[in-house]
Amino acid sequence: MIDEEISGLLGRVSLRDQAAFAELYRQTSPKLFAICLRILRDRGEAEEALQEIYVRIWQHAERFSAGQSTPMAWLAAIARNRAIDLIRARKPVANAIDEAYDLADPAADPEKSAVVRAEGRRIDTCMGELEEDRANAVRRAYVEGLSYQELAEIYAVPLNTMRTWLRRSLLKLRECMER
Amino acid sequence: MTASTPDKGDFRRDEVIAGEYVLGVLSADDRRKVEARLASDRNFAAMVTRWQNNLSTFDEAYDPVAPPARIFAAIERRLFETAPSPAAPARPGLWQSLALWRGLALASLAAVAMMGASMAGLFAPPSGGRPLVAEMAGKGISVDLVARFDRGTGHLLVTPVAARQAEEKSLELWLINGDNPAISLGVLPQSGEGEIIIAPAMRGKFAPGSVLAVSVEPSGGSPTGSATGPIIALGKARDL
Repeated sequence: MIDEEISGLLGRVSLRDQAAFAELYRQTSPKLFAICLRILRDRGEAEEALQEIYVRIWQHAERFSAGQSTPMAWLAAIARNRAIDLIRARKPVANAIDEAYDLADPAADPEKSAVVRAEGRRIDTCMGELEEDRANAVRRAYVEGLSYQELAEIYAVPLNTMRTWLRRSLLKLRECMER
Repeated sequence: MTASTPDKGDFRRDEVIAGEYVLGVLSADDRRKVEARLASDRNFAAMVTRWQNNLSTFDEAYDPVAPPARIFAAIERRLFETAPSPAAPARPGLWQSLALWRGLALASLAAVAMMGASMAGLFAPPSGGRPLVAEMAGKGISVDLVARFDRGTGHLLVTPVAARQAEEKSLELWLINGDNPAISLGVLPQSGEGEIIIAPAMRGKFAPGSVLAVSVEPSGGSPTGSATGPIIALGKARDL
């Protein structure tokens, strides 16, 4: 799939070009449907979600900015966000962001992180620097849309331990990618 | 927390929350809180975008699955099968959505075709021949505008509500047809109401698909004949 072609289709979709929308759907829906299926684990819900996702893409195509992300990453984010919203509504999890975050990590240098600049490394390299089970937990959280609770059960650790794992892993990834 | 200053701690916490949001591990309530902040905090929004880009590598794990053919038919029904009714409102939500105008400030004219007429439907036939009105504003944009288009007379009225820029600037209106270079339709006065009556000869150039754009230019208009400043508004002409 060529990014430029998808970008061009998104541009035409933002001009309300229905033929471009059909072509965009033809080229990208198998990927977005796979995202819905994987996260929702229910074919009926995935089909419904896919409809909502393309309605949203039609309505918001003009928000895509080629300078900010690749078109497939942008489309996949819309699909993941919708699927995760549905799964969190179906299976509620505890709120957390108003609580204290245990982010102790003497290795990280937050001052350096304050500067936004080009990423020096790909995420794969940095994932390799995490302990294997933590890297896997990060990847499974993303790919499968798993909650902290589900991850804690899978890895047989207390919920708070899993939170600490992922939060510190995120900081390590950020630090690594800016190194 | 070992962070020695609140700022440092907050920054790390923000990075983690942005990452957690993109991973998808947050609760529904927490996701809404993050999204509310996304709309108002550009630095935080940049963190989320960066995580999205970084982690999108994991999208490779999703092996494509073709959806059933009936899904696209259902999407088309939802989007395009709206019975036209004479009483239908002229899409005021779209017209008055400030969000539509955000992010356009730095767009170059070349990007117009790509970004598309974010206001597609801008000049769609309104009900009862009433003029359409759009308010245009956005963060970091130097002027707020109100545009009013009268289909019957071909009058397009663009009123700069407030010019917040220190230097003298002019607003220039452009017409773009397909891949052709933008044609200047004239310069709007900086204050007061700017009305442009499209010359009959020029009206022929307005076709469905034509894009109208307003750019901020040096006082008196673009020195080069093409837009040099940020595009602050654009819309696709339909059914003129």
